[in-house]
Amino acid sequence: MTQATLERRDGPARPAQPPPSPLLVGGVLGAVAVTIVAGWAIDFSLAPVVEQWPQLVMILEEVVHPEWAEITDPSSRLWTALKETAAIAVIATFVGSLIALGVALLGSKVSAPPAVYRVTKPVMAVIRSLPDMAYALVFVAVVTGPLPGILALTIFNIGIVAKLTAESIDAVDPGPLEALDAAGATRWQRARVAIVPAVLPHYASYVLYVFELNIRASVVLGAVGAGGIGQLIMLYFNRADYPRLAAVVIVIFVVVIAIDLLSQVLRRRLV
Amino acid sequence: MRPKPPPKWPYTVAGLVLIGIVLIAGWSLDDARWERLPQFPGEILQYAGQMLDGVFTWPGAHPEGQADPELTYGDWWLQSLRLMGESVALAWIGTCVGALFSFPLAFLAASNTSPLAVRVPVRLFFNAIRAVPEILLAVIVMLPLFGLNPMAGAMAIGIHSIGSLGKLTLENIEAVDPRPVEAVTAAGASWWQRIRAAVIPQMLPETVAFWLYRFEVNIRASAILGVVSAGGIGALLNRVLRGREWEWGGIMLVVIIIVTILVDQLSAALRHRILHGAEATAVAA
Repeated sequence: MTQATLERRDGPARPAQPPPSPLLVGGVLGAVAVTIVAGWAIDFSLAPVVEQWPQLVMILEEVVHPEWAEITDPSSRLWTALKETAAIAVIATFVGSLIALGVALLGSKVSAPPAVYRVTKPVMAVIRSLPDMAYALVFVAVVTGPLPGILALTIFNIGIVAKLTAESIDAVDPGPLEALDAAGATRWQRARVAIVPAVLPHYASYVLYVFELNIRASVVLGAVGAGGIGQLIMLYFNRADYPRLAAVVIVIFVVVIAIDLLSQVLRRRLV
Repeated sequence: MRPKPPPKWPYTVAGLVLIGIVLIAGWSLDDARWERLPQFPGEILQYAGQMLDGVFTWPGAHPEGQADPELTYGDWWLQSLRLMGESVALAWIGTCVGALFSFPLAFLAASNTSPLAVRVPVRLFFNAIRAVPEILLAVIVMLPLFGLNPMAGAMAIGIHSIGSLGKLTLENIEAVDPRPVEAVTAAGASWWQRIRAAVIPQMLPETVAFWLYRFEVNIRASAILGVVSAGGIGALLNRVLRGREWEWGGIMLVVIIIVTILVDQLSAALRHRILHGAEATAVAA
C-alpha cells in the first residue's frame, strides 16, 4: 500500500461536519442551568451517603430479617390490609373507568359538539393536575377508612382513562363515521355503533393500565388514612418496626410484579 | 342474505363476572361506611367554597384564628410557591438521577445491543425497582441516609425512575431501524462505534421526550413523599388539610394546579419540538 492511497489525495475532500444547531446548544445549556438551580434549591449533597452509611446498614440488617409470621398467618394485619387495598383498587377502577368512557366521548371533537369538548378538556386537565393524594386528603376530612381512598382513586382514574380514551377517539377511522352521518345517524348512534367498538380494545388496555397504577397508589394512599396497606407502612415506619415493614415490602413486591405480568399478557392480547 | 351478527353472550358473561367481582370487593370492605357516601357532595362543596374564599381573598388581608397576627394570605401564597418550587426541583433532580443511570443500563438490557446473559439480570433489576413504591424506598433507605429533607425525596424518586425509564429506553433501543446498524457493522465498527453511530442517533429524541414525561410524573409523585417528610409541598399540604385549614389548603391546591399545568404545557411543547422538529411545531402553532 502506498502513501498516496492512504492519504487519498486524489479523492474529494471529506465534507466538514456541520456545527451543532444553536437550538441544541441552547437546550443543553438550559437543562444544565435548570439542574444547577434545582440542585442548589434542594441542597444537593451525596456526603450523607458516606456519613450515615452505618445507620443504613443497621436498618438494612433488620430489614433482611422480615417478620415471616406476618406473611404466613392469613389472619394477620398485613393480609387484612392487602385485601382492603385490592378491593379499593377493583372498585375504583371499575367505577372510574365506566364514568371515564362517558367523559371521553364528551372530550373528543369526533364525538362531541365543539361547545362541549372545549369545556370538558380544560376541566379534565385541572382534575388531572392534582395528585391523587390531594384528593385523598380532602376526602379523609369527611370520613376515614376505605371510602375516601375509593373516591380519590376513582377521580384519578377518570382523569387518566378519559384523557387516553379521548385521544383514541380523536384517532378513530373516519370511514364508518362518514357512512353513519350519510345514513342520518344521531350522535348517540354514532358513538354506539362506530366509536365505542373502534376504541374498545384501547380502552380495555387503558383500564388494565390504571388498575396497575391503582394497586400501587392504594398502597400509598393509606399513608394519609385512606385505608389499605399504606396505613400499615406508616404505622410500622413510625414505630421503626423494620422487620414487619420488610414483610410488607415483600408482599407488595410480589403483588405488584404479579399484576404487572398479568396485565402485560392481557394487554398484548387486546391490542 | 344478511350475515348473522356475532353472538353477544360472551360480553354479557364477562360483564356479569366483572360486576360480581366488584360487588364482592364492596362486600369485603367491612368498615367502608357506604352510608356516608351521600354526605360527600355537600361536605366537599362546603370545603371547596371555603378554599375558594381563601383563594379570592386579597393577599394583604390577615386570616382569622391564626397564632401570628402579622400573617397575611400573601404569606401563604409565597410559602406555597416556595414549597412547590422545592417539589419541582426535587422531581427534576430525581429525573436526572434516573436518566443518568437508566441510559447506559438500557444498552445492557436491549436484545440488539447486549447478550442474553447480561440482558436478563439487568431487566430483572429494572422490574424489581419498579415494583417498590417510592414511599417505601424513601422510608427504608433514603430517610435514614439523608434525614428529613428534599435530598431523600429526590433520591427515592431517582432510584424508582431508573426502573421505569430503563424499561422505556430499552424498548426504544430495540425499536431502532436495524439497517444503519448492519451498515456500520459491515464497515467493521466496534460495539461502541455501532452504538455511537447507529443506535444513539435513532433513539435519543424519543428517550429525551420520555425523560421530560417522567419529570411530569415525578412532580406528582413528589407530593406523596411529603407525607413522610421527604421534602416538597406534600408535608405542609398534609398538615394543613388534616387541620381543616381550608382557606390555606385552597391556596396550596391552586398553586399546585397552576404550577403543574404550566410545567406540563412547557414539557409537552418541548417534547413536541424534540420529536417532530421545527416544521411541525410551526404548523401546530
